[in-house]
Amino acid sequence: MELTVKVQKQFGTFFLDADFAIQGDQVGVFGPSGSGKSTLVSLIAGLRHPDRGFISLDGETLFDSDRGLHMPPEHRRIGMVFQRAHLFPHLSVRSNLLYGYKRCDPRYRKITLDTLVSVMQIGHLLDRGVRHLSGGEKQRVAIGRAVLSNPRLLLMDEPLSAVDDSLKFQIISYLKNTCEIFKIPYLFISHALLEMRIMTNRVLNVEEGRVTRQVTGEDLARERMKDAAGYMNLLRLTAPRRINNLYTYRWEDQELFISSGSPMDETIFEVSSTDIILFKRHPEAISARNLLKGTVVDIFETGTRMGVELKCGDGRLIAEIVKEAVDELELSKGVEIYAAIKAVAFRRLG
Amino acid sequence: MPSFTPSDYSAILLSVRVAVVATLLSLPFGFIVAYLMTYRRFRGRVALDVIVNLPLTLPPVVVGYLLLLLLGRHGFVGKMILQPLGINLIFTWKAAVVATAVVGFPLMVRSIRIGMETIDVRLIQASRTLGAGWFDTIMTVIVPLSVRGLIAGSVLMFARGLGEFGATIIVAGNIPGVTQTIPLAIYEYVSSPGGDVMALSLCVVSVTISVLVLLFHEWLGRRMVRSD
Amino acid sequence: MRKQCIKQVVIVFVLTLSCLFFAFHHRSIAADETKKDTNVFTLGEINLSAAASLRDVLNEISDTYVKDNPGVTFMKNYGASGAVAKQIENGAPADLFLSANVKWMDHLKDKKIVDEKSVTTFAYNRVVFVGKPELKVAGLKDLSKLNKIAIGSPKSVPAGQYAEEALKKAGVEKDLEKKLVMAKDVRECLMYADRGEVDGAFVYKTDAELMAKNVKILFAVPQELYSRVTYPMAITAAGSKKTEAAAFFKFLQSDKAKKILEKYGFAIR
Repeated sequence: MELTVKVQKQFGTFFLDADFAIQGDQVGVFGPSGSGKSTLVSLIAGLRHPDRGFISLDGETLFDSDRGLHMPPEHRRIGMVFQRAHLFPHLSVRSNLLYGYKRCDPRYRKITLDTLVSVMQIGHLLDRGVRHLSGGEKQRVAIGRAVLSNPRLLLMDEPLSAVDDSLKFQIISYLKNTCEIFKIPYLFISHALLEMRIMTNRVLNVEEGRVTRQVTGEDLARERMKDAAGYMNLLRLTAPRRINNLYTYRWEDQELFISSGSPMDETIFEVSSTDIILFKRHPEAISARNLLKGTVVDIFETGTRMGVELKCGDGRLIAEIVKEAVDELELSKGVEIYAAIKAVAFRRLG
Repeated sequence: MPSFTPSDYSAILLSVRVAVVATLLSLPFGFIVAYLMTYRRFRGRVALDVIVNLPLTLPPVVVGYLLLLLLGRHGFVGKMILQPLGINLIFTWKAAVVATAVVGFPLMVRSIRIGMETIDVRLIQASRTLGAGWFDTIMTVIVPLSVRGLIAGSVLMFARGLGEFGATIIVAGNIPGVTQTIPLAIYEYVSSPGGDVMALSLCVVSVTISVLVLLFHEWLGRRMVRSD
Repeated sequence: MRKQCIKQVVIVFVLTLSCLFFAFHHRSIAADETKKDTNVFTLGEINLSAAASLRDVLNEISDTYVKDNPGVTFMKNYGASGAVAKQIENGAPADLFLSANVKWMDHLKDKKIVDEKSVTTFAYNRVVFVGKPELKVAGLKDLSKLNKIAIGSPKSVPAGQYAEEALKKAGVEKDLEKKLVMAKDVRECLMYADRGEVDGAFVYKTDAELMAKNVKILFAVPQELYSRVTYPMAITAAGSKKTEAAAFFKFLQSDKAKKILEKYGFAIR
């Protein structure tokens, strides 16, 4: 997906002035509340008119104030998912899902109801009315509805903010999965860094109506290391097995012991950089269940502490230790190191 | 039970017919105006709002007189459009319909607007991004969700139409069998010594019809809630 | 916030009511005072209720009377005789009543609202049909050619009753169904015809001669088809207590009055 945007819009005292070009399929839009993210996205969707400017998607001009061109939203083939599901109350789930599909040009209809329903597991909801669905079910249907319209770009405006924490990551996995399987590029707005890191590989940082830079979720996370919580390492773990009261999971090419797992095949866990203890030499006996061998790849300052990036097998971890420790352990790039993590330090997402 | 003359029966039938036709005629226009006022910004929006609501604040007789001036032989519309086409509205059944429609129009628009304003704007945005153009959105999203407002507006207008007198008598006249609706018939009886019994009987008929209409509206409203 | 609102509304409401009350009170005090003052010079106020078709002739007669009797004031109420009779029956103040037919006078006689003994005939009239000069109608049978005809509502307008009577006797009533526009009195009939809203109207000869601008008398309705238009007049029970009312009642039967009647086209015999 190639998106070029150069627009300006004035609302009262707020002035949006966005100028960027981005390529990619999993793009995020990140910024504080009121920074203009939603407005920017509504301009791309065609729901609002910029005062002046230019928007083009995959080479096709959607808006050009110089030439007086404004493609109405129904022709742009850009789908949208909002914070709340906003399902049509007078239609059944099935009719909601098919609303966009029916209006999609037959030659673009790659995704069908059956495939979508099996990927998103909403088959059992099809003939129900929308009023009595749970929040999570509604949002899944809303996502399905947008996807089924076979858009060439999916815009998602904080689709998880109104969802229960326990459901959030479930829906994230549906979302990412569905878009990857059906090859739909998306623009994902959120003010939650964690969601951004999982869903996107490129992020537009928006502040006070301007797109200030293009970064990655990782970059943002590292910038945030100064906070007390440190840096959250996100690990995708698979193939859980239960052994007594612990779970073992595969991480890249290694095995980890986790205290609270789930029967799902693949789960994302987070472990804080401040929960990783580094050893210069292999400690022979240790209470922590996880001891990983790794090589120091980078050392950097994070406010009052130091971040140490390790390569452990095929995986990467970032640990945080005090400056004095770095000196004491004589850490530098290339040094071999052992990282210990308690089984209980891993927190499951979703 | 007092005996109604054939003239009285035709007054009752005429009242219902005029009110129904006026309501049906106003529905599409009322919907269009309500839609424009709710969803579109345009120059002259305030002016439109004022004009539409004018019959609500003017005495019906004034409305009738203005209609007479406009549609009569020497009126702007009358001279320019109606006469050349050979159409004469004044003192016809059609004029009664026009008078009733004009007087009830603001009520219809108001009700539809209230209904429309409860429609979540995000639903409309969603339908546009799903590929529906503005007309498609109106027909598949806005109309179904405005049904409550449409019905409320229709009932209100019908009930108001049954009672229309001032504008009707000026622009349609009091012609038994043609434009004499129930209120006009009652008016005649009221001016007539000894006509009180008949006037009262017609009043009872009028009240009965109104009550039936309002009950129907209640029932409809309840049915719609149940089906949700 | 709500309580504040209600309080303010109540205060405004009470203030408005008080203002109105004082205004009326003041007005009625003033009225009483002027009445007391004028009693010294005037002979009082006469409430005159009469058929609409008598408007102009009665105005001239009363003006003439006032010239000789300054200090007499008239409160006049003109309308369709039936409507006027109904108003009087319901309590509208009236000292003298002049009707355009016997029926409504009898009605009030039965109710003992008018002094039976005072009833006498004031004048007579004829019913004519007026319309646009170019219309080719010469009699009742030609009327079915027309689109719309104005007639005073027979339920309350004597002129309409007379016309209806004639139509029935001539056998053309059925042909004119749906063509008849009901008017509240003769003046309204004439106005409809004058404005061209109807093709023609049944009015009194006296009205046609007085007011027709765009219309002219097309034919007189044959007298044999309807009862003679008779204007009975009487003093009401209330009026019989007033000397000024009796005095004017006498004047209405004087030669002076009769001359004015003839001037306007009424028959006095």
